[in-house]
Amino acid sequence: MTTPGLPEPVDSMLLCYCTNLTIGELRRAYLDGRWPLPDKERTGKLCTGCLGDLLYCLRRFSAAR
Amino acid sequence: MSSELSPLLSVTFHEQGCDHLIELVHQRDEHARRQLASVDVAVYDADGKMLGDIPVDPRDEVVDLAGRLAGHGLAGERVMVVLDSRYDERAFPYRPHHYAFVHPRRAAAAPLYYAVNAVLGGVPDRIGATGINNFETYLFLRRHLAARPGLALGNPSRFATAEAQVFAYYGAQRQTQKVVLEPKRHTEIGLPATLEGEPLGRVEVKSLFKLATYVLARRARSGELVLFDHLFTYFK
Repeated sequence: MTTPGLPEPVDSMLLCYCTNLTIGELRRAYLDGRWPLPDKERTGKLCTGCLGDLLYCLRRFSAAR
Repeated sequence: MSSELSPLLSVTFHEQGCDHLIELVHQRDEHARRQLASVDVAVYDADGKMLGDIPVDPRDEVVDLAGRLAGHGLAGERVMVVLDSRYDERAFPYRPHHYAFVHPRRAAAAPLYYAVNAVLGGVPDRIGATGINNFETYLFLRRHLAARPGLALGNPSRFATAEAQVFAYYGAQRQTQKVVLEPKRHTEIGLPATLEGEPLGRVEVKSLFKLATYVLARRARSGELVLFDHLFTYFK
């Protein structure tokens, strides 16, 4: 599943600026069934600015499973 | 305390014809000015297209945004300016703050001094804040504005389209507008200064996730900015 015009989620991208979570950390944790990671539970819930991107990435990773 | 650098992404808007100075770090200590570890500055047009980046030395005290944007072909345009910073939490136990002066050239009005809107990383995990950040409010002075009020909104996300509701309150009445912004897009919407004789008292922005948001007001005839300020999160 890709959305035309949008960049691909790249592992090195910083997703959450509040918990310092990268897309690669999210991808690995999600695909290994370890999401949410113990120290990253508040991802998307603090400044909320990454929440839309977090949900987008989770949908992408879910479709890829 | 971590030795890892902390991130902060702040956003402002710039218009051609304005002088615009950004103070990279507002805080000082007794011995020296504190510094960011790095800052990357990128500029986007209203359609979300990246127009370029601006090399910035984090040791600089002030960035002349208008000067640095000259030559980017921005005639008459509003651009979204994204400041992606890294900082050491030992230097900034909460987080750094960027402040800025904006002044329409040759305008008689005073320059506007404002805090640059911290959008991503504005609530670092280590401080344990629990307030919501995506429901923001601005209270206007309780008198009629002698200018056209409005709201500038930008979506700094990479993948997610934002749908925001904007509520403008006039006494006991309110008007609602819906704004949809794809990633990196930005827009300005007008807010009526009065509704059935009642002045604009407050504006609220509600969205799934925090956007870059500023209230503004322009002189009716010249369009000069006379208000430019970020909204506030009053709900804890």
